[in-house]
Amino acid sequence: MQIERKITLPKIGMSLVLLAMLFFTLMPIVFMISASFMTSRQILRMPFSWIPEGFAWENFAKAIQGNDQTYIFVRNISNSLIVSTTVAVTTVLIASLTGYGLAKFRFRGRTTIFMMIMATMMIPFEAIMIPLYMVIMVLRIQNTYVGLILPFLVSAFGVFQMKQYLTTFPTEFIDAARVDGMGEFGIYLRIVLPNCKPVIATLAILSFRSQWDNLLWPLLVSQSDKMKTIPQYISNFALERSTDEGAMMAAALLASIPMFLLFMSLTKYFIGGSAVYESRKG
Amino acid sequence: MGLKKYRGIERKQARWGFIFVVPSMLFFSLFSFYPIINAIYTSFFDKRALSKAPPKFLGLGNYIRLFDPARAANSLSFYNSLRATLVFTLGTFIPLLILSLMIAVFISNLSSNRTKKFLQISYYCPAILSSVVAATIWMIIFDPRGLGNQWINALLGTPGVDQGWLVDPVMEQVSTMVIYFWKYIGYFVILFITGLASIPPTIYEAATIDGATKWQVFWRITLPLLKPTVVLVSVMAMLQCLKTFSTQYMLYSNGAPRAPINVITFNIYVTGIQQQYLGRASAMSVVLFIMMLLLTLLQFKTTKSENVDY
Repeated sequence: MQIERKITLPKIGMSLVLLAMLFFTLMPIVFMISASFMTSRQILRMPFSWIPEGFAWENFAKAIQGNDQTYIFVRNISNSLIVSTTVAVTTVLIASLTGYGLAKFRFRGRTTIFMMIMATMMIPFEAIMIPLYMVIMVLRIQNTYVGLILPFLVSAFGVFQMKQYLTTFPTEFIDAARVDGMGEFGIYLRIVLPNCKPVIATLAILSFRSQWDNLLWPLLVSQSDKMKTIPQYISNFALERSTDEGAMMAAALLASIPMFLLFMSLTKYFIGGSAVYESRKG
Repeated sequence: MGLKKYRGIERKQARWGFIFVVPSMLFFSLFSFYPIINAIYTSFFDKRALSKAPPKFLGLGNYIRLFDPARAANSLSFYNSLRATLVFTLGTFIPLLILSLMIAVFISNLSSNRTKKFLQISYYCPAILSSVVAATIWMIIFDPRGLGNQWINALLGTPGVDQGWLVDPVMEQVSTMVIYFWKYIGYFVILFITGLASIPPTIYEAATIDGATKWQVFWRITLPLLKPTVVLVSVMAMLQCLKTFSTQYMLYSNGAPRAPINVITFNIYVTGIQQQYLGRASAMSVVLFIMMLLLTLLQFKTTKSENVDY
């Protein structure tokens, strides 16, 4: 299929658009990295020079020490890691269990239950955060990990994804294990779970990322500095250090490193993960 | 006898299936259905967070207050929130839709697989950063002395003009749209590329043999076959935009004026959490919920009737 290889005007136009978009998407990221090594004076100099003159390492020191030298950054980024990881694990476990139950067992009310779970996808978190906030106040779990994690234990989308995947899982494997006398829960743990690694990876990444990026719920739950998460830290830091752009960029860069590492090592699950949404139309 | 035993096994299995589903059922009842019912219920009361007295029943009072025409002039009214949300949603999702489709088509026309992959990954990079980080980076770019002004002025040939990215009411809205667009463009490009890949190449070959130009192929074949993806992506993008919060929160808390970017979610947050008017905030939540519900139902309806078989 290599009939036309010649350079034509539309082709040049297309390449220009793609290049312009490449510049637009990557420029701010390069800016963040470059600016994190600069002093504020360099960052806001006209015209802007992309290469830092020397390395302003103190930006990173300031970012980690925080506004009042309490090193609360370390605690806050750990909080984000704890919350995001826990949510990823519970989402995978509960969603796979439910997906398995819905895909491979016939019981009364199965379709209704599935439809009900799907219906919750239409309830945006932003619309139920006020009642959830009241629940948190009644239970007195403000400023706790439980409070941060509880509303995100599992997602309807996760259940859907697991069910779709497991519907195509060969029932013969399950039946063979049953004949061998394996218990139902054992089958789930030792046959089903190890065989859905790709979908587990995708789901875990999506859940981890959604919590890493979550600002709204921690704003409601965590009032004490110790229980704040990294988006809150960045937000406070940017507010109190509003004239120190270099330190702001250093904090932003540090906060992005975990996601970048995850993205570099598991690129195909990120890209594939967004493509999975496609299957929703099926 | 044998049949009876078989039925017993089936019933036992059915019980396991049910047990596996129980955790999710409990979760969704407690953290999705109960809260939305509670939001509807609370929206009829004058509930405050700190008051000990039982909340006063208002009927539709909260809703009447939200849609009171006399308040429309108030720059922080719910009317203004609806307007801000609508402007933001349309201003973000239309460029997102058009450009991501265009770029996806351009990318799939490339011959080198490595370039395709490189571009997809590069476009996707902003989506990895959290919204807060995205807003922080752009706030510095949009500083009066920052890159935003330098480049716009270089482009328009107007040296030294401050566009007021974070100050001017119109520019402030444009800024939130740019930030959001930047973060999500790669994600939607990938959705479209997946959609494009599902169209069998034989159809293109047939059209090319019949003498169709690329332009004709796009309008007559690609776009009609891509319609389900287009509908899906537009609704998803719109739902995403309606839920925007972090960008607006960041800009506001760093000194940008609130009124132009006081989107519904932000208004709920301020009214319910900061000012503690839980009833009024619940009424806003219910309006947001109904808006999104209608959009989703519309999506289901259109995708059901438009399913394409190859």
